[in-house]
Amino acid sequence: MKRFLLVALAAVMLVSSVACSTATTNTSATSAVATAATTGASTDSSTATEATKQDVTITYMVSQDQLQDAEIALGQKFTEATGIKVDYQVIPSDQYVNLLTTKMNAGECADIFSSQGGQFDIVTQLNVEKNAVDLSGESWSSTVDPLAAAELSVDGKLYGQPIQDVSSVWAIAYNTKIFTDNNLQVPTTFAEFKTVCETIKTAGITPVYECVSDGWHHVLWFPEVGAAYEAAEPGLIDNLNSNTTTFASSAVMKQSLDQIKEMVDAGYWGENYMSNAYADAAKSFASGEYAMVVANQGFGAEVEAIGTELKASDVGYFVIPLVDNQILNVNPVGPSRFIYSGSKNVDAAKQYLAYIAQAENLQYLIDNVSKNNTLPFIGVTDKYSETIKTFYATYATHGTVLQTTVKYLNPQWMEIGKELAALILGDSTSDDVLKNIDKNRADQATAAKDPAWNE
Amino acid sequence: MNERKTYPLYFVYGALILYVALCVIPGLIGIGYSFTDWSSYSDEINFIGLKNFATIFSPDENYVEYLSNTILFTLVTTICKSVIGLSLAVLLTKKIRGLNIHRAIMYMPAVISTLIVGMTFKSILNPQIGLLNESLRSIGLDVFALKWLTDSKIAFWSVMAVDIWKGVGYIMTIFIAGIMAISPAYFEAAEIDGATSWQKFKSITLPLLMPTIAVTTVLNVLYGLKVFDIVYSLTNGGPGYATEVLYTGVYKEFSQGRYAVGTTLSSVMFVVMLFVGYFMIKIMTKKEVEE
Repeated sequence: MKRFLLVALAAVMLVSSVACSTATTNTSATSAVATAATTGASTDSSTATEATKQDVTITYMVSQDQLQDAEIALGQKFTEATGIKVDYQVIPSDQYVNLLTTKMNAGECADIFSSQGGQFDIVTQLNVEKNAVDLSGESWSSTVDPLAAAELSVDGKLYGQPIQDVSSVWAIAYNTKIFTDNNLQVPTTFAEFKTVCETIKTAGITPVYECVSDGWHHVLWFPEVGAAYEAAEPGLIDNLNSNTTTFASSAVMKQSLDQIKEMVDAGYWGENYMSNAYADAAKSFASGEYAMVVANQGFGAEVEAIGTELKASDVGYFVIPLVDNQILNVNPVGPSRFIYSGSKNVDAAKQYLAYIAQAENLQYLIDNVSKNNTLPFIGVTDKYSETIKTFYATYATHGTVLQTTVKYLNPQWMEIGKELAALILGDSTSDDVLKNIDKNRADQATAAKDPAWNE
Repeated sequence: MNERKTYPLYFVYGALILYVALCVIPGLIGIGYSFTDWSSYSDEINFIGLKNFATIFSPDENYVEYLSNTILFTLVTTICKSVIGLSLAVLLTKKIRGLNIHRAIMYMPAVISTLIVGMTFKSILNPQIGLLNESLRSIGLDVFALKWLTDSKIAFWSVMAVDIWKGVGYIMTIFIAGIMAISPAYFEAAEIDGATSWQKFKSITLPLLMPTIAVTTVLNVLYGLKVFDIVYSLTNGGPGYATEVLYTGVYKEFSQGRYAVGTTLSSVMFVVMLFVGYFMIKIMTKKEVEE
């Protein structure tokens, strides 16, 4: 009887653990990746027997949205070529920034880590001069696009390697078929945008796909129209950086937040915006249940890859029209790879970065990653479609996004996500959100002993 | 020198040195850092007095809200785990078929990693495609298919419910051990006197279980006050700040490189837990000592 009980107990425990992992994998991409994080999606299978190659495993800590299957495939080839194994530690995006900075502050970071670039943030948030390895002497460093390199450099030293296409902008991707069926035109003002949303909603389609639970995506609405804030209140960005004005005193930024809240209250984000995940955006969009989503210009290819009737050419783009914005938002900053200065495998990590930066591998990443239309390296061939070229050509004025131009904003991206979630849920006001952004900026600036905040 | 002592005092030195070196000194250093401006942004560390404490208790910060969430979590989970755990323990000390299987099933959540529990329940409680809401809808109870983890009004209650589900088996096991340590002679005597089940529970089980209840309450309260992982894995403090507790606040401060504020929060919690633990044990074991 006892033996039976033991066997039964073991069987139940096994089934429950399998059930856990199955439920996780089937229902949530985030959780699936998180599970991968705990097990490690290692590429260590094929080359262990080759004694002449290096017996080293490098760890690469990366946010779930910043690692693509194509890079893992390249990682396997890298292992075959060098014997160096790559252990990808994939972290859910809502937890990534906190975990990375905690690990770094505790001196326990992975050999390679991914993070957003940005000339201010890599100093204040990552402290790359202390925490990252200078990559200026690497063979590939001179091939990085100068604009992107500038955002990854401190005092002329390059510390990061771009991961993604930074030419792409976060704009509103829309289903052109739904627009045509409902006789809709691309909106140029917020009032027109509301009319578009209302029409789509009346047609039984959710106007906008949004995913607050990821913590980062819904934030895009606010800072991506930064150039429009500057246009409405000239000198705003300089004054914010010199601490002579605040977010809370900006009428145009308050208006922007109020318009976000207005959209949600009107039901334009549907019912499930709090629990949706960005990983499901293309699938949801392709299903025809949603008409628009904030996305970059690789989104059309992602939608086509889902395999429904919707093709990449059926996805059009327009700029986020909050506060009547009509300026194309550009941002030379994107996710990048850094080598941790405390790593014991710096040479192996450098070899990995060098391998990824080989011309044929960069081209492989462009050709096989939907969201990459190009990569910020000299000599690669882009794959812009006519739709995307038309979109870029539509907007004569270009302006840089707020998170790149204003100091101490990007590091609090996830905090702003929480603030916006509270605003959307009615737990706080737009004034509270702006005041808290000011407070968080002041905290960081004071800690960094920024003269503008410490005089 | 007390002659009745079995072992000489120096027997304790080894353990004491380790405890002081690994627990007391780091703890005191942590408290010391609470009075500085230690951060990742600067190599300089300056003494700033009580400024960090003023920051924590300032109305501009959310920490008081985090503290009240932590206390609510502690109260609710302690009461529920104790009541449900005790009820299950009473039931599972009866002579019933498959007793050990029942006990194993109830205890099983306690051995699963909190992060796995968090991820699993995140999926189960998904408002759109989660198992719970799908089940409710399939039997026509659409009205109860709520946004369990994404509605700020109920998210914290969902987190507490998951934590109770996970923790109740552990508490139940301690209660079972406590009940089994009670001499059956008391129950037999009561039965001869014609006592009902409720009378036996009220007059025998409960009073003799008080030392066990004191232990489980202290365990539950201290666990509740330092809760982190279940909140982190289920909601990461969201939606908004609805489910933030003190240790998610500490984590956030540390991850933002504001070490001093993080250690200040930890120090405050250390003092609170010290007082709560000390007085709880004192109050709950008062009768025992008097006897």
